[in-house]
Amino acid sequence: MSASAATPAPAGGQKDRVAWLAVPAVGYLAIVYALPLVFLLARSVTGPEGFTLSLFIQFFSDPYSWRVIWNTLRIALLTTLVCLVIGFPVAIAMARAKGLMQVALLVAIILPLSIGVVVKAFAWQIVLRRDGVVSQFLVGTGIWSEPQRLLFTESGLVLGAANVFLPFMILPIYSVVKLIDPRLSEAGATLGASPFYRFRRIFLPLTMPGLVSGIAFVFSMSVSMFVIPSLLIGDRFQMLATLTGRSFLLMRNEALGSTTAVVLLVLAVSIVVASSWLAKRLGGSQ
Amino acid sequence: MTRFTKDGIDRRILLAGLGAGAIGTLSAPSVLRAQTREIVVGGAASHKPWVDAHVAPIFERKYNAKLTFEGTRSLVNLEKMQKNKDRPYLSVVQMDDPVMILAVREQLLEPITAAKAPNVAKLKPGTIHMEGQWANYLQPWQGIAYNTNVLKEPPASWNDAYDPKFKGRIIIPSLQNTEGLPNLFMASHLATGKPMAEAARDTENGFKKLVSLKPNLLTVYNQMPQAFSLLEQGEAHMIVGALSSFALQRRLDGAPIGLAAPKEGIFPVPSGIAVVKGGPNQDLAFAYVNELLGAEIQAKIAPPTFALPTNVDVPPPPGMPTGVAIHTIDWGFVADNRNDWVRRWDREMSM
Repeated sequence: MSASAATPAPAGGQKDRVAWLAVPAVGYLAIVYALPLVFLLARSVTGPEGFTLSLFIQFFSDPYSWRVIWNTLRIALLTTLVCLVIGFPVAIAMARAKGLMQVALLVAIILPLSIGVVVKAFAWQIVLRRDGVVSQFLVGTGIWSEPQRLLFTESGLVLGAANVFLPFMILPIYSVVKLIDPRLSEAGATLGASPFYRFRRIFLPLTMPGLVSGIAFVFSMSVSMFVIPSLLIGDRFQMLATLTGRSFLLMRNEALGSTTAVVLLVLAVSIVVASSWLAKRLGGSQ
Repeated sequence: MTRFTKDGIDRRILLAGLGAGAIGTLSAPSVLRAQTREIVVGGAASHKPWVDAHVAPIFERKYNAKLTFEGTRSLVNLEKMQKNKDRPYLSVVQMDDPVMILAVREQLLEPITAAKAPNVAKLKPGTIHMEGQWANYLQPWQGIAYNTNVLKEPPASWNDAYDPKFKGRIIIPSLQNTEGLPNLFMASHLATGKPMAEAARDTENGFKKLVSLKPNLLTVYNQMPQAFSLLEQGEAHMIVGALSSFALQRRLDGAPIGLAAPKEGIFPVPSGIAVVKGGPNQDLAFAYVNELLGAEIQAKIAPPTFALPTNVDVPPPPGMPTGVAIHTIDWGFVADNRNDWVRRWDREMSM
């Protein structure tokens, strides 16, 4: 037996055995996630005479479907953008904070996750009404001449959704920023780089994997949200998830529901796969 | 060496004891269940307070049984029945009439007969449907709920909601909700002046009139509590097509809400009850139905739900509107056309 063959064998064997730890989770997901997905996919390509793509053709040839897809993508993009703009500085502040301040910031970010979406949506209802805090602030600062309606508007929906999903943007960025050695920036400064140049050429590329993960998290959750739009914008604004729910529950049209669910799934998976690829690429280039 | 302790408990005894303990622990729930039989009733979430307060205590005492009430929407109950058709866990459902029609079409219900629920003989005409597939135990009504702090006079007409002064202040129910349908029929009546029975079939004109309500809409709800919360806060001024069973209860609780019966008339929204085909404890299920159709329970639940009783021996509760037309709805016609209406609603009523 050669030395090269003998040495790595235990490590490889150990690795294989450790992989078995994932079996319960894989089995669980296979039953409650993958199997229903297969049924869903099968239903979306099954007609009275077997395999067909007619459901998708019918769906995409209806202009209303495109409006719903556009609604879904627009709201998801705007929500992600708001989370990014608010969350990025917060993540940096958290990573750079020390001691009690860092604990306080972490608790402030994580604690809201324990509050249900429905409760948050009702809270936003109070905040966004005509005599609510937002309206009073905008009138008080002179931005609005009189109170206006924010509830059941796209702006209200984006604000409410961003509030729910913000921790999912902050935490991945925070975990990456925390690992960045602050001396890198200091080294840049000693070489004469301006703060903006150091941010753009040193800090931003290093945080990119966290940014991409946060964006992927928030976008994939925003694109498929159901309860938040139901409560914050109501029945007059359809997104793919609400249309899917309605197709199954109200219209009892499994064909349409399966089709819209598959379209939604493809959109969400595409974003996740693309962001993983981007994260790897950016990670590899450093 | 088999002994474990100085008291003489050996391994065999210990293992036998553990085994017996395990079997006892695992079988305990079924043993306990066997002592008290249980039925699960699927109904509307808004029914839970009066079921818990007025129905469950009487039923559980009388039949030595446990009653579990699952509150959700009628369509969700239908989904539960359909998905569990082979092994139903619901024994009874309390749903809206249009959803009952769908359940009948999917053969999910067990007909109610006088032999199994004798109180059906005491029901008013027109409250037993499709050869006893379901019966109505109450008839709440629909009018216009309004915030009494904002509107000092109740709305006199369904047309008031279209007044431009209510821009962004009106809430209506979605067509997803049963109580959303009368708005379509009333809109047609307002637009054409036809008698209600005729106008209800002219949904083309109904939709044209409803579209003109869009500037006044704050939202279209599918969650009734949220809509009432907005009305109570004053963000909304009216809910056009509100149910008496919810609106008047909120008024009783002290909310600044009134419920108007406009001059064009009101709509009854019959509450149906049915036994789930093949559901657990069918004898208890029929007993529960019988109780809800009986005078004792109806006399208790009609006043707090602000609904008309269906048992002939129970008088209407005080405070019911008088002198206004009560328009009945052809639920069969609704069931045949509702999906097309919802599609059209999505396209024409969207933001």
